[in-house]
Amino acid sequence: MVDHPDGTLMDALVRKGVTRRDFLKFCSVMAGTLALPASMVPKVAHALETATRPPLVWLEFQDCAGCTESLLRANQPTVAELVLDVLSLNYHETIMAPSGAQAEKSLEDTVNAGGYLTVVEGSIPTGENGIYCCIGGRTAVDILQEVASNTAAIIAVGACATYGGWPSTPPNPTEAKGVHEIVSGVPIVSMSGCPYNVDNLTATVVHYLTFNKLPDMDDLGRPLFAYGRRIHDNCERRGHFDAGEFVREWGDEGHRNGWCLYQMGCKGPITFHNCPTIRWNQGTNWPVGGGHGCIGCSQPNFWENPAYETTGIFEVTPPQTFPPTEEGGISPAGAGAIGAAAGVAAGVAGAVAVRQITKESE
Amino acid sequence: MAKIAIDPITRIEGHLRIEAQIDGGQVTDAWSSSTMFRGLEIIMKGRDPRGSWLMAQRI
Repeated sequence: MVDHPDGTLMDALVRKGVTRRDFLKFCSVMAGTLALPASMVPKVAHALETATRPPLVWLEFQDCAGCTESLLRANQPTVAELVLDVLSLNYHETIMAPSGAQAEKSLEDTVNAGGYLTVVEGSIPTGENGIYCCIGGRTAVDILQEVASNTAAIIAVGACATYGGWPSTPPNPTEAKGVHEIVSGVPIVSMSGCPYNVDNLTATVVHYLTFNKLPDMDDLGRPLFAYGRRIHDNCERRGHFDAGEFVREWGDEGHRNGWCLYQMGCKGPITFHNCPTIRWNQGTNWPVGGGHGCIGCSQPNFWENPAYETTGIFEVTPPQTFPPTEEGGISPAGAGAIGAAAGVAAGVAGAVAVRQITKESE
Repeated sequence: MAKIAIDPITRIEGHLRIEAQIDGGQVTDAWSSSTMFRGLEIIMKGRDPRGSWLMAQRI
Protein backbone atom coordinates (compact mmCIF):
# COMPACT_ATOMS: atom_id res chain seq x y z
CA MET A 1 0.00 0.00 0.00
CA VAL A 2 1.44 3.35 -0.93
CA ASP A 3 1.74 6.18 1.58
CA HIS A 4 -0.95 8.73 1.18
CA PRO A 5 -0.30 12.39 1.98
CA ASP A 6 -3.63 12.66 3.79
CA GLY A 7 -2.70 10.10 6.46
CA THR A 8 -4.65 7.05 7.55
CA LEU A 9 -8.19 6.25 6.77
CA MET A 10 -9.25 6.90 10.39
CA ASP A 11 -7.65 10.38 10.23
CA ALA A 12 -9.71 11.05 7.15
CA LEU A 13 -12.91 9.83 8.80
CA VAL A 14 -12.26 11.91 11.95
CA ARG A 15 -11.87 14.99 9.77
CA LYS A 16 -15.27 14.24 8.32
CA GLY A 17 -16.76 14.19 11.83
CA VAL A 18 -17.25 10.43 12.04
CA THR A 19 -17.37 9.45 15.74
CA ARG A 20 -15.52 6.45 17.14
CA ARG A 21 -18.87 4.86 17.95
CA ASP A 22 -20.02 5.19 14.33
CA PHE A 23 -16.67 3.91 13.15
CA LEU A 24 -16.91 0.76 15.29
CA LYS A 25 -20.51 0.26 14.18
CA PHE A 26 -19.30 0.37 10.57
CA CYS A 27 -16.55 -2.17 11.42
CA SER A 28 -19.17 -4.49 12.95
CA VAL A 29 -21.41 -4.24 9.90
CA MET A 30 -18.45 -4.97 7.63
CA ALA A 31 -17.36 -7.95 9.75
CA GLY A 32 -20.93 -9.23 9.60
CA THR A 33 -21.11 -8.81 5.83
CA LEU A 34 -17.82 -10.67 5.46
CA ALA A 35 -19.18 -13.46 7.70
CA LEU A 36 -16.37 -12.85 10.20
CA PRO A 37 -16.95 -13.64 13.89
CA ALA A 38 -17.52 -10.72 16.27
CA SER A 39 -14.07 -11.35 17.72
CA MET A 40 -12.62 -10.09 14.43
CA VAL A 41 -14.16 -6.61 14.77
CA PRO A 42 -11.11 -5.20 16.65
CA LYS A 43 -8.82 -6.53 13.90
CA VAL A 44 -10.95 -4.88 11.24
CA ALA A 45 -11.00 -1.65 13.26
CA HIS A 46 -7.23 -1.74 13.79
CA ALA A 47 -6.60 -2.32 10.10
CA LEU A 48 -8.86 0.55 9.09
CA GLU A 49 -7.34 2.86 11.70
CA THR A 50 -3.82 2.29 10.46
CA ALA A 51 -4.30 1.67 6.74
CA THR A 52 -3.44 4.39 4.32
CA ARG A 53 -6.18 5.26 1.92
CA PRO A 54 -5.92 3.00 -1.08
CA PRO A 55 -5.95 4.93 -4.35
CA LEU A 56 -8.66 3.62 -6.63
CA VAL A 57 -9.01 3.82 -10.38
CA TRP A 58 -12.49 3.22 -11.80
CA LEU A 59 -12.50 2.36 -15.48
CA GLU A 60 -15.68 2.49 -17.54
CA PHE A 61 -15.75 0.76 -20.89
CA GLN A 62 -18.87 -0.71 -22.60
CA ASP A 63 -21.05 0.17 -19.63
CA CYS A 64 -24.43 1.72 -18.86
CA ALA A 65 -23.20 3.48 -15.68
CA GLY A 66 -25.62 1.30 -13.70
CA CYS A 67 -22.76 0.03 -11.54
CA THR A 68 -21.67 3.63 -11.00
CA GLU A 69 -25.22 4.36 -9.85
CA SER A 70 -24.84 1.45 -7.46
CA LEU A 71 -21.61 3.01 -6.14
CA LEU A 72 -23.40 6.28 -5.53
CA ARG A 73 -25.98 4.43 -3.43
CA ALA A 74 -23.30 3.51 -0.89
CA ASN A 75 -24.32 4.30 2.66
CA GLN A 76 -21.76 2.29 4.60
CA PRO A 77 -19.92 4.63 4.63
CA THR A 78 -21.94 7.38 3.00
CA VAL A 79 -21.07 8.12 -0.58
CA ALA A 80 -19.04 11.20 0.26
CA GLU A 81 -16.94 9.26 2.75
CA LEU A 82 -16.48 6.38 0.37
CA VAL A 83 -15.44 8.58 -2.50
CA LEU A 84 -13.44 11.21 -0.69
CA ASP A 85 -12.09 9.51 2.41
CA VAL A 86 -12.22 5.75 2.59
CA LEU A 87 -11.00 5.36 -0.95
CA SER A 88 -8.87 7.88 -2.73
CA LEU A 89 -10.81 7.80 -5.97
CA ASN A 90 -8.24 9.14 -8.40
CA TYR A 91 -10.07 8.49 -11.65
CA HIS A 92 -13.74 7.99 -12.42
CA GLU A 93 -15.11 9.48 -15.63
CA THR A 94 -18.69 9.91 -14.46
CA ILE A 95 -17.95 11.80 -11.25
CA MET A 96 -14.49 13.39 -11.58
CA ALA A 97 -14.09 17.15 -11.99
CA PRO A 98 -11.37 17.35 -14.68
CA SER A 99 -12.09 16.50 -18.31
CA GLY A 100 -9.95 15.70 -21.32
CA ALA A 101 -6.18 15.73 -20.95
CA GLN A 102 -6.37 16.70 -17.27
CA ALA A 103 -8.50 13.63 -16.53
CA GLU A 104 -6.09 11.38 -18.39
CA LYS A 105 -3.18 12.89 -16.44
CA SER A 106 -4.83 11.82 -13.15
CA LEU A 107 -4.91 8.27 -14.49
CA GLU A 108 -1.34 8.39 -15.73
CA ASP A 109 -0.01 9.74 -12.39
CA THR A 110 -1.85 7.03 -10.43
CA VAL A 111 -0.63 4.25 -12.71
CA ASN A 112 2.96 5.49 -12.46
CA ALA A 113 2.76 5.60 -8.64
CA GLY A 114 1.45 2.01 -8.45
CA GLY A 115 -0.17 0.25 -5.48
CA TYR A 116 -3.70 1.18 -6.47
CA LEU A 117 -6.87 -0.86 -6.74
CA THR A 118 -8.67 -0.96 -10.07
CA VAL A 119 -12.41 -1.30 -10.56
CA VAL A 120 -13.61 -2.17 -14.05
CA GLU A 121 -17.19 -1.51 -15.16
CA GLY A 122 -18.38 -2.60 -18.59
CA SER A 123 -17.14 -5.11 -21.14
CA ILE A 124 -14.10 -4.64 -23.34
CA PRO A 125 -14.58 -4.74 -27.13
CA THR A 126 -11.82 -6.53 -29.02
CA GLY A 127 -13.25 -6.47 -32.58
CA GLU A 128 -11.70 -4.20 -35.24
CA ASN A 129 -8.63 -3.66 -33.05
CA GLY A 130 -10.77 -2.38 -30.20
CA ILE A 131 -12.17 0.75 -31.86
CA TYR A 132 -15.67 0.23 -30.44
CA CYS A 133 -14.63 1.89 -27.18
CA CYS A 134 -12.01 4.64 -27.13
CA ILE A 135 -11.23 7.09 -24.33
CA GLY A 136 -8.77 9.93 -24.84
CA GLY A 137 -7.97 8.43 -28.23
CA ARG A 138 -6.92 5.05 -26.82
CA THR A 139 -8.80 1.78 -26.99
CA ALA A 140 -10.32 0.11 -23.93
CA VAL A 141 -8.02 -2.89 -24.40
CA ASP A 142 -4.92 -0.65 -24.35
CA ILE A 143 -6.08 1.28 -21.30
CA LEU A 144 -7.01 -1.84 -19.34
CA GLN A 145 -3.74 -3.59 -20.10
CA GLU A 146 -1.72 -0.57 -19.06
CA VAL A 147 -3.65 0.02 -15.84
CA ALA A 148 -3.53 -3.71 -15.02
CA SER A 149 0.26 -3.77 -15.43
CA ASN A 150 0.87 -1.85 -12.20
CA THR A 151 -2.26 -2.45 -10.08
CA ALA A 152 -2.45 -4.37 -6.80
CA ALA A 153 -5.73 -6.04 -7.76
CA ILE A 154 -8.66 -5.67 -10.11
CA ILE A 155 -12.28 -5.74 -9.00
CA ALA A 156 -14.56 -6.42 -11.97
CA VAL A 157 -18.04 -5.13 -11.17
CA GLY A 158 -21.29 -6.01 -12.90
CA ALA A 159 -22.27 -8.61 -15.48
CA CYS A 160 -20.37 -6.93 -18.35
CA ALA A 161 -16.94 -6.67 -16.72
CA THR A 162 -17.21 -10.12 -15.14
CA TYR A 163 -18.68 -12.22 -17.96
CA GLY A 164 -18.86 -9.92 -20.99
CA GLY A 165 -22.48 -9.03 -20.25
CA TRP A 166 -25.19 -8.53 -22.85
CA PRO A 167 -22.79 -6.79 -25.30
CA SER A 168 -21.15 -10.23 -25.68
CA THR A 169 -24.45 -11.92 -26.61
CA PRO A 170 -24.44 -13.53 -30.06
CA PRO A 171 -23.77 -12.21 -32.63
CA ASN A 172 -21.51 -10.14 -30.32
CA PRO A 173 -21.02 -7.36 -32.90
CA THR A 174 -18.08 -5.74 -31.08
CA GLU A 175 -16.45 -8.98 -29.84
CA ALA A 176 -16.98 -7.81 -26.26
CA LYS A 177 -15.21 -9.68 -23.47
CA GLY A 178 -14.95 -9.70 -19.69
CA VAL A 179 -11.83 -8.67 -17.74
CA HIS A 180 -10.70 -12.28 -17.19
CA GLU A 181 -10.36 -12.77 -20.93
CA ILE A 182 -8.11 -9.73 -21.36
CA VAL A 183 -5.95 -9.61 -18.25
CA SER A 184 -3.81 -12.29 -16.64
CA GLY A 185 -1.20 -12.33 -13.91
CA VAL A 186 -3.15 -9.93 -11.66
CA PRO A 187 -5.52 -10.93 -8.82
CA ILE A 188 -9.06 -10.38 -10.12
CA VAL A 189 -12.21 -10.55 -8.06
CA SER A 190 -15.55 -10.70 -9.85
CA MET A 191 -18.51 -8.92 -8.28
CA SER A 192 -21.22 -10.04 -10.64
CA GLY A 193 -24.79 -8.80 -10.58
CA CYS A 194 -26.57 -6.32 -12.78
CA PRO A 195 -25.65 -4.10 -11.08
CA TYR A 196 -23.28 -5.39 -8.38
CA ASN A 197 -24.09 -4.36 -4.80
CA VAL A 198 -21.90 -1.56 -3.46
CA ASP A 199 -21.98 -2.88 0.11
CA ASN A 200 -20.17 -5.96 -1.19
CA LEU A 201 -17.53 -3.77 -2.84
CA THR A 202 -17.01 -1.88 0.41
CA ALA A 203 -16.72 -5.18 2.29
CA THR A 204 -14.19 -6.47 -0.24
CA VAL A 205 -12.07 -3.35 0.20
CA VAL A 206 -12.29 -3.71 4.00
CA HIS A 207 -11.23 -7.35 3.68
CA TYR A 208 -8.31 -6.28 1.53
CA LEU A 209 -7.22 -3.65 4.07
CA THR A 210 -7.65 -6.02 7.03
CA PHE A 211 -5.98 -9.13 5.65
CA ASN A 212 -3.90 -7.70 2.77
CA LYS A 213 -5.50 -10.11 0.34
CA LEU A 214 -8.70 -10.58 -1.59
CA PRO A 215 -11.46 -12.67 -0.02
CA ASP A 216 -11.91 -16.38 -0.83
CA MET A 217 -13.67 -16.88 -4.15
CA ASP A 218 -15.77 -19.46 -5.97
CA ASP A 219 -14.91 -21.01 -9.34
CA LEU A 220 -16.27 -17.91 -11.14
CA GLY A 221 -13.95 -15.65 -9.12
CA ARG A 222 -16.76 -14.29 -6.95
CA PRO A 223 -16.15 -13.67 -3.23
CA LEU A 224 -17.80 -16.42 -1.19
CA PHE A 225 -19.04 -14.08 1.54
CA ALA A 226 -21.38 -12.51 -1.00
CA TYR A 227 -21.90 -15.29 -3.56
CA GLY A 228 -21.54 -18.42 -1.42
CA ARG A 229 -25.24 -19.16 -0.99
CA ARG A 230 -28.28 -19.27 -3.20
CA ILE A 231 -30.88 -16.51 -3.06
CA HIS A 232 -33.30 -19.34 -2.27
CA ASP A 233 -31.34 -20.35 0.85
CA ASN A 234 -31.92 -17.07 2.66
CA CYS A 235 -35.12 -15.88 1.02
CA GLU A 236 -37.71 -14.45 3.38
CA ARG A 237 -40.38 -16.28 1.36
CA ARG A 238 -38.67 -19.64 1.73
CA GLY A 239 -41.21 -20.75 4.33
CA HIS A 240 -43.94 -20.41 1.71
CA PHE A 241 -41.91 -22.48 -0.75
CA ASP A 242 -41.52 -25.26 1.80
CA ALA A 243 -45.23 -25.08 2.61
CA GLY A 244 -46.24 -25.25 -1.05
CA GLU A 245 -47.71 -21.74 -0.96
CA PHE A 246 -47.08 -20.27 -4.40
CA VAL A 247 -48.12 -17.21 -6.35
CA ARG A 248 -49.90 -18.63 -9.43
CA GLU A 249 -50.91 -15.42 -11.13
CA TRP A 250 -49.84 -11.79 -10.76
CA GLY A 251 -52.14 -10.10 -8.27
CA ASP A 252 -53.74 -13.28 -6.95
CA GLU A 253 -54.29 -13.86 -3.26
CA GLY A 254 -50.93 -15.57 -2.85
CA HIS A 255 -49.19 -12.59 -4.47
CA ARG A 256 -50.99 -10.19 -2.16
CA ASN A 257 -49.97 -12.36 0.79
CA GLY A 258 -46.31 -12.41 -0.18
CA TRP A 259 -46.07 -16.11 -1.05
CA CYS A 260 -43.27 -17.82 -2.96
CA LEU A 261 -42.59 -16.57 -6.52
CA TYR A 262 -40.99 -19.79 -7.79
CA GLN A 263 -43.93 -20.68 -10.05
CA MET A 264 -43.76 -17.17 -11.56
CA GLY A 265 -40.23 -17.78 -12.77
CA CYS A 266 -38.13 -16.77 -9.76
CA LYS A 267 -34.48 -17.73 -10.39
CA GLY A 268 -33.62 -17.72 -6.68
CA PRO A 269 -32.94 -21.47 -6.58
CA ILE A 270 -30.17 -21.22 -9.22
CA THR A 271 -28.71 -17.83 -8.29
CA PHE A 272 -25.83 -17.16 -5.94
CA HIS A 273 -25.96 -13.72 -4.29
CA ASN A 274 -26.59 -12.22 -0.84
CA CYS A 275 -29.49 -9.96 -1.87
CA PRO A 276 -31.93 -11.38 0.73
CA THR A 277 -29.66 -10.39 3.61
CA ILE A 278 -27.83 -7.29 2.36
CA ARG A 279 -30.71 -5.91 0.24
CA TRP A 280 -30.56 -2.77 -1.91
CA ASN A 281 -30.91 0.99 -1.64
CA GLN A 282 -29.54 1.27 1.86
CA GLY A 283 -31.11 -2.01 2.91
CA THR A 284 -34.61 -0.82 2.03
CA ASN A 285 -35.82 -3.76 -0.01
CA TRP A 286 -34.93 -6.19 -2.79
CA PRO A 287 -36.73 -7.50 -5.89
CA VAL A 288 -38.42 -10.49 -4.24
CA GLY A 289 -39.49 -8.26 -1.34
CA GLY A 290 -41.07 -6.02 -3.97
CA GLY A 291 -43.15 -8.89 -5.34
CA HIS A 292 -41.14 -9.91 -8.43
CA GLY A 293 -39.10 -13.06 -8.80
CA CYS A 294 -35.31 -12.97 -8.88
CA ILE A 295 -34.03 -12.66 -12.46
CA GLY A 296 -30.72 -14.28 -11.57
CA CYS A 297 -28.59 -11.28 -12.54
CA SER A 298 -25.44 -12.51 -10.79
CA GLN A 299 -25.29 -15.65 -12.98
CA PRO A 300 -23.63 -15.71 -16.42
CA ASN A 301 -25.94 -14.82 -19.35
CA PHE A 302 -28.93 -14.38 -17.07
CA TRP A 303 -31.08 -12.80 -19.80
CA GLU A 304 -31.09 -16.13 -21.64
CA ASN A 305 -33.26 -17.64 -18.88
CA PRO A 306 -36.86 -16.73 -19.76
CA ALA A 307 -37.83 -14.43 -16.91
CA TYR A 308 -41.30 -15.87 -16.31
CA GLU A 309 -40.69 -19.57 -16.82
CA THR A 310 -39.89 -21.74 -13.83
CA THR A 311 -36.28 -22.76 -13.58
CA GLY A 312 -37.32 -26.29 -14.50
CA ILE A 313 -35.94 -27.90 -11.38
CA PHE A 314 -39.05 -29.68 -10.27
CA GLU A 315 -42.74 -29.17 -9.71
CA VAL A 316 -43.62 -29.11 -6.06
CA THR A 317 -46.65 -31.09 -5.02
CA PRO A 318 -47.83 -29.71 -1.71
CA PRO A 319 -48.58 -32.30 0.95
CA GLN A 320 -52.25 -33.13 1.50
CA THR A 321 -52.07 -32.71 5.24
CA PHE A 322 -52.25 -28.93 5.52
CA PRO A 323 -55.11 -27.61 7.58
CA PRO A 324 -57.83 -26.00 5.46
CA THR A 325 -57.11 -22.30 5.67
CA GLU A 326 -59.21 -20.81 2.90
CA GLU A 327 -62.67 -22.31 3.22
CA GLY A 328 -64.61 -24.15 5.88
CA GLY A 329 -64.13 -23.82 9.58
CA ILE A 330 -61.78 -25.71 11.77
CA SER A 331 -61.46 -25.68 15.53
CA PRO A 332 -58.34 -24.09 16.98
CA ALA A 333 -57.40 -27.35 18.71
CA GLY A 334 -57.82 -29.34 15.49
CA ALA A 335 -55.80 -26.82 13.53
CA GLY A 336 -53.01 -27.13 16.06
CA ALA A 337 -52.89 -30.92 15.79
CA ILE A 338 -53.06 -30.92 11.99
CA GLY A 339 -50.59 -28.05 11.87
CA ALA A 340 -48.06 -30.00 13.91
CA ALA A 341 -48.34 -32.97 11.55
CA ALA A 342 -48.14 -30.69 8.52
CA GLY A 343 -45.08 -29.03 9.98
CA VAL A 344 -43.25 -32.35 10.06
CA ALA A 345 -44.38 -33.16 6.53
CA ALA A 346 -43.40 -29.73 5.23
CA GLY A 347 -40.02 -30.00 6.90
CA VAL A 348 -39.34 -33.29 5.15
CA ALA A 349 -40.61 -31.90 1.84
CA GLY A 350 -38.36 -28.89 2.25
CA ALA A 351 -35.31 -31.04 2.91
CA VAL A 352 -36.07 -33.17 -0.14
CA ALA A 353 -36.55 -30.03 -2.21
CA VAL A 354 -33.18 -28.66 -1.16
CA ARG A 355 -31.46 -31.90 -2.07
CA GLN A 356 -33.12 -31.95 -5.46
CA ILE A 357 -32.11 -28.36 -6.19
CA THR A 358 -28.55 -29.06 -5.12
CA LYS A 359 -28.36 -32.14 -7.29
CA GLU A 360 -29.91 -30.38 -10.24
CA SER A 361 -27.55 -27.42 -10.19
CA GLU A 362 -24.30 -29.26 -9.55
CA MET B 1 -7.01 29.24 -35.88
CA ALA B 2 -6.67 26.39 -33.43
CA LYS B 3 -8.50 23.13 -33.01
CA ILE B 4 -8.92 21.63 -29.56
CA ALA B 5 -10.18 18.21 -28.50
CA ILE B 6 -11.66 17.37 -25.12
CA ASP B 7 -11.78 13.62 -24.60
CA PRO B 8 -13.15 12.28 -22.34
CA ILE B 9 -15.93 14.65 -21.38
CA THR B 10 -16.51 13.72 -17.73
CA ARG B 11 -19.52 13.90 -15.41
CA ILE B 12 -21.83 12.42 -18.00
CA GLU B 13 -23.12 8.91 -18.55
CA GLY B 14 -21.36 7.36 -21.53
CA HIS B 15 -18.28 8.29 -23.51
CA LEU B 16 -18.04 11.57 -25.38
CA ARG B 17 -15.38 13.46 -27.35
CA ILE B 18 -15.76 17.12 -28.35
CA GLU B 19 -13.58 18.88 -30.91
CA ALA B 20 -13.84 22.61 -31.45
CA GLN B 21 -12.43 25.04 -33.95
CA ILE B 22 -11.34 28.25 -32.23
CA ASP B 23 -11.01 31.45 -34.25
CA GLY B 24 -10.09 34.69 -32.51
CA GLY B 25 -11.32 33.42 -29.14
CA GLN B 26 -14.62 32.28 -30.64
CA VAL B 27 -15.73 28.72 -31.28
CA THR B 28 -16.54 28.74 -34.97
CA ASP B 29 -17.25 25.05 -35.47
CA ALA B 30 -17.57 21.98 -33.27
CA TRP B 31 -17.92 18.21 -33.61
CA SER B 32 -19.05 15.62 -31.09
CA SER B 33 -18.42 11.89 -31.20
CA SER B 34 -19.79 9.12 -29.06
CA THR B 35 -16.73 6.95 -28.65
CA MET B 36 -18.38 3.72 -27.54
CA PHE B 37 -20.63 1.26 -29.40
CA ARG B 38 -22.19 -1.97 -28.20
CA GLY B 39 -24.73 -2.86 -30.89
CA LEU B 40 -27.86 -3.60 -28.86
CA GLU B 41 -29.98 -2.97 -31.96
CA ILE B 42 -28.12 -5.74 -33.77
CA ILE B 43 -28.28 -8.15 -30.84
CA MET B 44 -32.04 -7.64 -30.30
CA LYS B 45 -33.02 -8.66 -33.84
CA GLY B 46 -35.07 -11.84 -33.82
CA ARG B 47 -35.08 -12.27 -30.04
CA ASP B 48 -38.13 -13.33 -28.03
CA PRO B 49 -39.67 -10.07 -26.76
CA ARG B 50 -40.65 -11.71 -23.47
CA GLY B 51 -37.00 -11.88 -22.47
CA SER B 52 -35.70 -8.88 -24.39
CA TRP B 53 -36.61 -6.34 -21.73
CA LEU B 54 -33.88 -7.83 -19.53
CA MET B 55 -31.36 -6.47 -22.03
CA ALA B 56 -33.19 -3.45 -23.43
CA GLN B 57 -33.64 -1.83 -20.01
CA ARG B 58 -29.90 -2.14 -19.42
CA ILE B 59 -28.82 0.28 -22.13
